[in-house]
Amino acid sequence: MKVDKTLVASVALHVLVIGWGLISFSARSFEAPPESLPIDIISADQLAKMTAGLKTGEKDKPKPLVEKVAEAKPVDEAVGKITEKEIVTATSPEQPPKVEKPVEKKPEPKPVAETKPKDEPKQAEKKPDPPKEDPIAEALKSEDAKKPKAKQEAKAAPPQPPKPKQERVFDQSKIAALLDKRDPTRQSITGAALNASAALGTRSGNADAIVATWKGAFVAAVRRCFNFPYNGQDADQFEADIDIQMRPDGTVAAEPVIVAVRGPSRSIGTAMAESAKRAIVQCQAYAFLPKQQYDTWKYIPMTFGLKEML
Amino acid sequence: MTKNRKATTGMSEVRFVTRRRFIFAAGSTLAAVGLRPAFAQSRLRVDPTEFQPLPIAITNFVPGSPAEGQIGADVAGVITNNLKRSGLFAPIDQAAFIERNTDPDMPRNFQNWKAINAQALVTGGTTRQPDGRLAARFRLWDVATGQQIEGQQYVTSPEYWRRISHIISDKIYERLTGEKGYFDTRVVFVDETGPSERRVKRLALMDQDGANVRYLTRGADLVLTPRFSPSTQEITYMEFGQGDPKVYLFNVETGQREIVGNFPGMSFSPRFSPDGQRIIMSLQQGGNSNLFVMDLRSKSTTRLTDTPAIDTSPSYAPDGSRICFESDRGGKPQIYVMPAQGGPAQRISFGEGSYSTPVWSPRGDYIAFTKQGGGQFAIGIMKTDGSGERILTSGFHNEGPTFAPNGRVVMFFRDPGGNSGPSLFTVDISGRNEQRVPTPGYASDPAWSPLLS
Repeated sequence: MKVDKTLVASVALHVLVIGWGLISFSARSFEAPPESLPIDIISADQLAKMTAGLKTGEKDKPKPLVEKVAEAKPVDEAVGKITEKEIVTATSPEQPPKVEKPVEKKPEPKPVAETKPKDEPKQAEKKPDPPKEDPIAEALKSEDAKKPKAKQEAKAAPPQPPKPKQERVFDQSKIAALLDKRDPTRQSITGAALNASAALGTRSGNADAIVATWKGAFVAAVRRCFNFPYNGQDADQFEADIDIQMRPDGTVAAEPVIVAVRGPSRSIGTAMAESAKRAIVQCQAYAFLPKQQYDTWKYIPMTFGLKEML
Repeated sequence: MTKNRKATTGMSEVRFVTRRRFIFAAGSTLAAVGLRPAFAQSRLRVDPTEFQPLPIAITNFVPGSPAEGQIGADVAGVITNNLKRSGLFAPIDQAAFIERNTDPDMPRNFQNWKAINAQALVTGGTTRQPDGRLAARFRLWDVATGQQIEGQQYVTSPEYWRRISHIISDKIYERLTGEKGYFDTRVVFVDETGPSERRVKRLALMDQDGANVRYLTRGADLVLTPRFSPSTQEITYMEFGQGDPKVYLFNVETGQREIVGNFPGMSFSPRFSPDGQRIIMSLQQGGNSNLFVMDLRSKSTTRLTDTPAIDTSPSYAPDGSRICFESDRGGKPQIYVMPAQGGPAQRISFGEGSYSTPVWSPRGDYIAFTKQGGGQFAIGIMKTDGSGERILTSGFHNEGPTFAPNGRVVMFFRDPGGNSGPSLFTVDISGRNEQRVPTPGYASDPAWSPLLS
């Protein structure tokens, strides 16, 4: 029997292609799009503000950056050690020197026996600026297994009382001797759990400017209760300004105050304003309002309208 | 938010700020940095996302003695029906009530009403007075705050318990919407019975909710276009008697009937002036008809138009200064407005099709009309300058709009065609909430009365 090769090839190719198609294009269950979420559109400027830290922002127990998991050490234990050995943190270059100014350093001859021998006093002296991660700190850390932890924790516990320093003489001509002459090395910061984000100023900083975050939620919450029965026209012309005083727990501190009512009919406008007042009271407490931003929502001026009604 | 921040972000927030408030805010930004920052905060804007009727709980009125029987429940039933039909309220089914025996004068557990999402609560009681009269009191409560926001007592003969219910409904409506109610009103209409080729048409009167139907004529003669006086309990209508159709005046309370003027030829489409002292109507003269107004006391008649066209369906503005009417002077029937004393008329309807039966809202803001075109009859409204036309309903045959006394609801009649007959409907001037009005038989040509009280 004579077989047409091209036919065979064609059939084989078709089978191949169709078979491949059947497998790779096999029907997949339709995935319903996730439920819609309310989204506030903010400008780039606002986003920058929200995400930016503030150098002067109060540090708020940031989580230490951890790049490697070292042998597990209970965190609380570490903390306990540090409080026992106060001196370690005191002489550590990472100690925030806010209270202790460099002036104090020279004349003080107080002998502190407990000071770690490895701790070079000059290094400490060199750094009167606020704690920052820097190569020297890293180097120090590498010298002692416990040290990095200590340093990290020192950062975490800023209000440690400053301790007097050893007798030190600062010789300007010998600054070069103070430099760390070891080759630069890259040291991993170890810890119990990985944490990729270095924390500095993210918690507070500009956060008090981020009113947009609660405003949307607050408007949505009040809107749920604001229900004014109106069947007329020109709904968009009715407006009522209402001021609210809030308590820190998110409840309304006093009866909302109707500041102004606008619209073609005074009686309808007033009825709408009163309906809005009832809505504000009805939908409390607004417990989601961020406590640390209480200043921004202690007083909330609002405008109620009927724009979307028709 | 601090002062400075307000200054920098102010531009993006201006749209939320009222002008006055913004000027104040801007001024204080520049002037007083030490001022309380909150006062520069822009206003948060809240609009309801969509219209939703207000959930309201209406409890049965508590009778003063068991002898009063069902009346408490009946009163609550009428109020519930009224508020529900208005489309603005959503009365909560009593089966959902957590609390059954609420003290009508001092409800305590507002949590029980919050739990069923009621925003307002109506309680009340009835008592039979020593003289036999019925006293009904009601209280309207704000569920969120537990405060009473309205409370009244009414005394009347027991047979008028429905009227008391309507009056209470009006009070609730007015307190919560800021507008006058329209429940304590009546509707005059043409009742139609019998097969379509031998239809008997009688003048009938009923409460706006379809109760208490009374027939005013016997049906021997054909009656058309009844109209309520805006200020008195009188009706004017057109009747085909022997000879030409004539305009009649009918007093609802006395049953007295009289012919309006004695004109040669046909007089039709009458309507009262706002003070009820004059009747404006069309008089046919040859092939055309013109508008005349007659003073009911002096019987003096004034001609308002003199055109070789058909001018008809006149309707006064509520202040009596202008009238709107229908005229085919431009070729097709359109709506015109002119001064009430006569003068130049201005056409206000310019849409496709023809416009007829204009009627001025008692509020003065709109003119309702029947619009014909494309094989459809629609009911619509437009502003008095002809702008903002809005079709409220459209279909095979809709005609004869009449406004509720608060100008928020329009009643009209609809004829589905075929062998059936017309019936009455209401619709909000927003076009929402179309409701059929119950009538004993077929019904057409409705006219809404003013508030009875």
